[in-house]
Amino acid sequence: MSAMFSTIVRRAGAATVVIFTVAMALPSAASADATDDYPIPNRMLTTTCTAEQVMAAARDVEPVYYERYMIDYNNKAPDIHQAVQDRIHWFYSMDFAGRRAYSEEIATNIYGESLAFRWPNWAKLFFNNKGVAAHTTDICNQYPSGDMSVWVW
Amino acid sequence: MKRSLVGVSLLTMGLVFATPATADPDSAFAEELHTYGIYGQRDYNAWIGKILCKRLYNDVDHNAYESAKFVHANLDKNSTTEQSWQFLAAALRTYCPDQLPILEDAARQ
Repeated sequence: MSAMFSTIVRRAGAATVVIFTVAMALPSAASADATDDYPIPNRMLTTTCTAEQVMAAARDVEPVYYERYMIDYNNKAPDIHQAVQDRIHWFYSMDFAGRRAYSEEIATNIYGESLAFRWPNWAKLFFNNKGVAAHTTDICNQYPSGDMSVWVW
Repeated sequence: MKRSLVGVSLLTMGLVFATPATADPDSAFAEELHTYGIYGQRDYNAWIGKILCKRLYNDVDHNAYESAKFVHANLDKNSTTEQSWQFLAAALRTYCPDQLPILEDAARQ
């Protein structure tokens, strides 16, 4: 009786080891990785709008969000203004794959965006809120693509 | 004695007709909006009121029609056109009275 019991225990132990090993071999993606919707909303990975079109749309349909971003922006030095404009132009100049790779980079590497160390919320108007991204990208193509006056508020 | 009674009654009259002291323009604005049946978050409505002034100063909106359109787009979905105009007039009076002539211009058209 006791011999049979110890055999069962041994087999059960072996099965547990096998299951554990399989689980280790097939780990699911770490939660820190990016997805097609995080940290940068999917709409911003796929839109054909420029930064200025997104901003013009935000000024009309997300006015409080735009206002707060611009208050913050206006409190930054001119060299940061230039850096923000250059960086966001660079972002929207990329195709989906490039933007998706950038999203991955900022999700997994805290040093992936040096501008964030100078202004943590530098891209808040564009990336931080899925609802805002949806509202702005719904209508952004109705606005002129290169209207730099949206940076003056 | 009579003179002091007159003084007291004048004082009382003054209190009766005194306008209530408002702590800040945002509260007064919210109270006025309530009379039009416009509710929603007080701070949000105050933002919209101030931003509509800024849009006029910054030449984003150029007349009362454009301002009313902006307001309507940012009020509750069930708001009426009339409420947008009431909101606009209240915001102009509260936050940028120098822009009130745009309402007169719209009325003349």
